[in-house]
Amino acid sequence: MRPRPVLALVAANLRRHTRDRVGLFFMVVMPFVSIVFVGMALGGGTTGSSRLPVGVVAEGSGPVTTALLAELRRHPDLEVTTMTSAAELRSGVREGSLAAGLVIPSGSTRLDLVVTETNGSGMAARSAIDVAVSKVAAVEEATRAARTAGATPEQAASYVRQAQAESGRVAVKDTSTAAGDPRGFAYTAPANLLLFTFINSMAVAAALVESRRLGMLQRALTAPVRHRSVLLGEALSRLLVALAQAALIMAVSALAFGVHWGDPLGVAAVVGTFALVSTGAAILVGTLLRTPDQAPAIGPPLGVVLGMLGGCLWPRESSGDVLNAVGHLFPHAWGMDALLKLAVPGTGIGAVLPQLGVLAAMAALLLGASLVLFGRRTRALG
Amino acid sequence: MTTLETASAPATTTTPALACRGLRKRYGDVVAVQDVGFAIAPGQAYGLLGPNGAGKTTTISMLVGLLRPDSGTVLVGGTDLAADPTRAKAKIGYVPQEIALYPELTGRENLRFFGRLFGLPRRRLAARIDEVLDLIGLTDRADTKLGTYSGGMKRRINIGAALLHRPEVLILDEPTVGVDPQSRKAILDGVERLVGEGMALLYTSHYMEEIERVCERAAIIDHGRIIADGTRRELVSLVGTADKVELVLDGDVETAFAKLRAVEGVVEAARTGASSVRLIAEGGRYLLPALITAVEGSATVTATQVIEPDLEATFLHLTGSTLRD
Repeated sequence: MRPRPVLALVAANLRRHTRDRVGLFFMVVMPFVSIVFVGMALGGGTTGSSRLPVGVVAEGSGPVTTALLAELRRHPDLEVTTMTSAAELRSGVREGSLAAGLVIPSGSTRLDLVVTETNGSGMAARSAIDVAVSKVAAVEEATRAARTAGATPEQAASYVRQAQAESGRVAVKDTSTAAGDPRGFAYTAPANLLLFTFINSMAVAAALVESRRLGMLQRALTAPVRHRSVLLGEALSRLLVALAQAALIMAVSALAFGVHWGDPLGVAAVVGTFALVSTGAAILVGTLLRTPDQAPAIGPPLGVVLGMLGGCLWPRESSGDVLNAVGHLFPHAWGMDALLKLAVPGTGIGAVLPQLGVLAAMAALLLGASLVLFGRRTRALG
Repeated sequence: MTTLETASAPATTTTPALACRGLRKRYGDVVAVQDVGFAIAPGQAYGLLGPNGAGKTTTISMLVGLLRPDSGTVLVGGTDLAADPTRAKAKIGYVPQEIALYPELTGRENLRFFGRLFGLPRRRLAARIDEVLDLIGLTDRADTKLGTYSGGMKRRINIGAALLHRPEVLILDEPTVGVDPQSRKAILDGVERLVGEGMALLYTSHYMEEIERVCERAAIIDHGRIIADGTRRELVSLVGTADKVELVLDGDVETAFAKLRAVEGVVEAARTGASSVRLIAEGGRYLLPALITAVEGSATVTATQVIEPDLEATFLHLTGSTLRD
């Protein structure tokens, strides 16, 4: 295959895209508007160190309740809000404004924990609550044991304080918050990378429809050019646009917002594979649609819906189990899983091989189907 | 098919620039093209005429390699298109009826794109683009976006894109649709110049006068078959050599009409109005003095019109007047 015709198609297509001012706005400006505003709404920051909001309903005011509230408030990872009713608390957890909720009944040691089990922040909050409850329970048990052994209440309290001082030398560092998704720009940068790489690939599908409508592809096939060179040239043009979009978001978010993307090899593999998925989808849309006007009407909305399901528009914690499960039928959720995992220090490409495998399979399926269909359409046009 | 085995066939032993034989294409039960064949010598302009849906586009698509014929062969400068498409296509310059150009790019960038498709090296391409821009008269507008061009300018770039690689045969599919008279003249002048320089031309158009002006030979295709093929004179002769003569009379029209019917050479006569008659006469333009003399004493001729047979008359005669679209 001669490279010159392929490069000619790539150069012409890229030049066309650079002259599309609306397209450039959506590639160069919009992703960063979204990263900044959504990032600030989620709590600006580049790591997962933000405190987890936990609601507490205290139905009584006994010493256990007081001790537990104090312990929860002392926990460095929790932001405790006292609430008036269990219904309000459940509503907060369901809507995502609370990572977890705890109802402390009056005169009972049976606590009611409200949490979404598949939600990373929820699980992290649960872990922190467990630690606080365990500490209070340990004090209660120790006090009871001292009283049973014949100590006066004052002696029992003294023994417990002594035991607490001794156990304080053992530092228990709770790292369970790492299981939750990061917040701020650390979340919105990868989310918008996936969102805009896909959406802008969908948007440039319009140029492919236009090429078909103008008869450019037919005419190209009357040149001494192999059919597969034309297919490769068109596919490569779209892939380069997707990669350029991804590279721009990574570079600007790292430099301007201090986003840590993680292992370069892993990130390159995930982003490259996702760009192939986007390219396959763009060629499929560009082949199936009849007029260029249909592409912006169908492509970007489709990208937004898939982005919603994949957690690119808001934290996945807020979406619930069903939506998160549905999201994993599409590439964005797998891309988010992989990029968020890679952002954790010490994580390499080996940790995201399952996600990479799924994305690669999706890319192969979409690219294969789209190129076969595109090939048939361009031949049939003749 | 009306075959004209005359001396009009190119009397040369040179390999035809474009030759096809026995082309056939079928879509389901519909035979779009059947047994189409012709040859175009270098420096010869060949017209392909036909009503809409006659099979012109299918034929051209097979000639430029966009469609694979069910049977038949296409030879471009002696190279079999099916056996060696890359080499054969390199000898063809194809100008589609649509403006197949990128509107976001400039005229020069569009030409560069097509030049690179045809594998022209960078330096040679740059020089060739300048030559073609000069040929089509668009050097001044070369670096403005195609979207700002007039219809005629776009048509000229559309043609220019097919000339960059100096093809042996140029295939023009309705190249003047929707252009103003100045642009049409510029296009036809340019095409004639290229043919004069030895390029073979296959030209399709609905404008008979363009075919008559540019092409020395033409074929009329209908229902997928070539029904007539020859020079203009040969094609016109298919409907006879008789002229149509229309006269307006003043006086005793009835008597004058009887006298006109009796004139030698008049093969048909009809009253077309209270004072007008139409005659079909062999060599009608030469018969006019005799016709005027014949009616003297009964009437005087106040107006005359002689219509010679032309390609359009032949076309309508052979393909019928029924609307096809």
